Amino acid sequence: MSTAAPPRPAPTARTGTGALPSTAYDCLPYTRGESVDRADVGTLVRSAVDGDAAAWKALVEGLSPLVWSVVRAHRLSDADGHEVYQTVWLRFAQHLGRIREPDKAGAWLASTARNECLKTLRSLSRLTVTSDPHLLDRVSEESTPEQSLLESEEAAEQSERVRRLWQEFEELGDRCRQLLRVLIASPPPSYQEVSAALGVAVGSIGPLRQRCLRRLRARLDAQGTR
Amino acid sequence: MSDDIDHEGEHGGGPGEFDDAVLEEELRRAAAVLDPVPAHLRQLAVQAYALHDLDARVAELTFDSLLDALPVRGALDVPRMLTFQAGELTVDVEVTGDGLLGQVLPPQPAAVEVLHGPRPGARLVADDLGRFAGDAPPTGPFALRLRTGAEVVVTEWLRA
Repeated sequence: MSTAAPPRPAPTARTGTGALPSTAYDCLPYTRGESVDRADVGTLVRSAVDGDAAAWKALVEGLSPLVWSVVRAHRLSDADGHEVYQTVWLRFAQHLGRIREPDKAGAWLASTARNECLKTLRSLSRLTVTSDPHLLDRVSEESTPEQSLLESEEAAEQSERVRRLWQEFEELGDRCRQLLRVLIASPPPSYQEVSAALGVAVGSIGPLRQRCLRRLRARLDAQGTR
Repeated sequence: MSDDIDHEGEHGGGPGEFDDAVLEEELRRAAAVLDPVPAHLRQLAVQAYALHDLDARVAELTFDSLLDALPVRGALDVPRMLTFQAGELTVDVEVTGDGLLGQVLPPQPAAVEVLHGPRPGARLVADDLGRFAGDAPPTGPFALRLRTGAEVVVTEWLRA
């Protein structure tokens, strides 16, 4: 049993494609080349404060998926989600020189995104607008190079496998779906960032993650897909 | 369905951390393929850097009727009341379907720009009593940039 605030498993142990039980992704041009090493975030923030636009761009590349995952975890409509995402980055640019702990910019972004999401959900419930949940659940329509590849003939089988995995994930209960959606941002967020994104204590993330992944595996096993 | 976490028993010899990590990584790849950050949003975030303004003082949001006021029963289309503060300077803003009304305190003239993004925004003027008005309500993320006699103040970005 691990104790409070466990360090994340070393990324190298989790990213080797050889560890995957299938070859579903071998042909995909998946790369983590855009990732920002978390240790560099503070340096990039300080460079951006000093006027380095490339440093800002690297921050956007590295931390956008985290901000996006928080928006998606809260199941906002596309229109609301897009505005929340923009607001978060505009505010980050505005506060850049005043962020007290530049190394924790990821947590700052995650918690700002969470607050904006909660505000949006609150204003929706106040207006008693009932949004169609099916509309909120759509995956992004944006097509990526990876997606185009998936759509080719040879990749049909892998595509089906990925879609089934995603569907089972989407059908997990709310808490698991929310937790996992943030955890699977790329590059993987720190537990501190996940905590800021979801308002969950750092110490409970590990055990929750374990339960949620096992629950997902059980669903996949029941489907006979693994 | 909402309580999925607490009802699952631990299986003694179940899959370990290694399998968890593999499954998580598979999910991460699926998310990168099926639910990526839309490219145009990424671009907007890159462009936001142009709005980073070291010389301006940020006026923080200290009151938002969306969060801080009790809902008015049965009332729809209630104006959104916002208060921003930067040191001694206060900016009260009321956003309605018809536009926005503002008040700078202590009362003083100011040039006011309504920002929606990196492009130049609508320009308004606060009169000697600090009052300003715009006939278009802000949509989406917005901020106000105020140039008073002494300084430049920008309100925190927020959604209209």
